[in-house]
Amino acid sequence: MSIQNLNTFDPFADAIKSSEDDVQDGLVHVRIQQRNGRKTLTTVQGLSSEYDLKKIVRACKKEFACNGTVVEHPEYGEVLQLQGDQRENICQWLTKSGLVKPEQLKVHGF
Amino acid sequence: MDDDMIFDPSLKKKKKKKTGFDLEAALAGEQGESTSMETPADTGDVDAPEDDNLDLDNFGKKKKKKKKTFFNLGELENALPETPPTEEPEAQEDEVMDDLDLDIDFTKTKKKKRKKDKNVDELVTEEDVRGEDQENVEDEHGEWVGSDHDYSYDELLERVFDIMREKNPSMVSGKKQKFIMRPPQVVRIGTKKTSFANFTEICKTLHRQAKHLLDFLLAELGTSGSVDGNSQLIIKGRFQQKQIENVLRRYIKEYVTCHTCRSPDTILQKDTRLFFLQCETCGSRCSVASIKSGFQAVTGKRAAIRAKTA
Ligand SMILES: [Zn+2]
Repeated sequence: MSIQNLNTFDPFADAIKSSEDDVQDGLVHVRIQQRNGRKTLTTVQGLSSEYDLKKIVRACKKEFACNGTVVEHPEYGEVLQLQGDQRENICQWLTKSGLVKPEQLKVHGF
Repeated sequence: MDDDMIFDPSLKKKKKKKTGFDLEAALAGEQGESTSMETPADTGDVDAPEDDNLDLDNFGKKKKKKKKTFFNLGELENALPETPPTEEPEAQEDEVMDDLDLDIDFTKTKKKKRKKDKNVDELVTEEDVRGEDQENVEDEHGEWVGSDHDYSYDELLERVFDIMREKNPSMVSGKKQKFIMRPPQVVRIGTKKTSFANFTEICKTLHRQAKHLLDFLLAELGTSGSVDGNSQLIIKGRFQQKQIENVLRRYIKEYVTCHTCRSPDTILQKDTRLFFLQCETCGSRCSVASIKSGFQAVTGKRAAIRAKTA
């Protein structure tokens, strides 16, 4: 039985929004990528451009003891890159610092 | 096939008794603890006491674990929210990961035994067993009349579900379907590639197009890959079975099981630019997230890329 009437979720909201700006779905995507061998890379896409990502990366590098950089992408804006699997660390850090709400975080990967 | 009601007032009891992953209990928990109040029917004396059901249930589980080839998707799904990104020791894998309980059953053999287990209709069957005496039911509802007691949300919820079950016996009498799926067969090829051998088979089991699952897998794993001549999926990078299983679970949760009733009897349709999940069981239709791989960092040899583009 469908109680769809109770569903206030608008399936087209996404479509309307995505026509405006395809990238900013309001979510912060945390992904992991494999590099050579056991090495991995964590990327954080979708952080608000109002934040100074250089400052964030500086703090993260220190906090997680890993290297990191900010990459400018034509479509996705400024993206944070960190060495290793920092998904847990970055999620905690972003929520703890109040930069991102937990429900905005979308963690991908295995 | 209508049995998967999420709000099962009798769930809490089970939750307590079971230590394993119980998707329904978890979902019920998510959707509000309120639903987990014990109903009067639970306390009544019945021909088939609940403990029996539980035993059967547990028995069924144990049997399954021994078999180990199948997994139980529902349980897996339940394990999802807490999946740690880090790898777990292999030992645990044996315990839980081998059965993914999708709440559907392709192997019809065990159905009889498991018919009653963790089902909404437990309550109703109990009522039936009691001999159709409407008195009890009427009493339950009758106590609402002429009382100025303020009813809690829990009580109201329970009442509405009681009435729903009463009015729609067919809704709850359906037998529980179990959907047994084989775990992904993941083998490393050399040092840099991974083979997902039964990829095509799993697509068929899930009734999803290979391309859709492929897109999802590759986007989630942040890598590339393709299906080879032997219909196995070759993925770039090293992945363990457990990791692939994690991603599969997420796929099933988002694109296979109905978001309303969790039935896996669904159709994925593309409408304009969005995918919709249409449930064949409850008729609900909802949009699902589109698959985007998003930002991909450059991980290859930069010199080689430069040489290629130059
Ligand atoms: Zn449904």
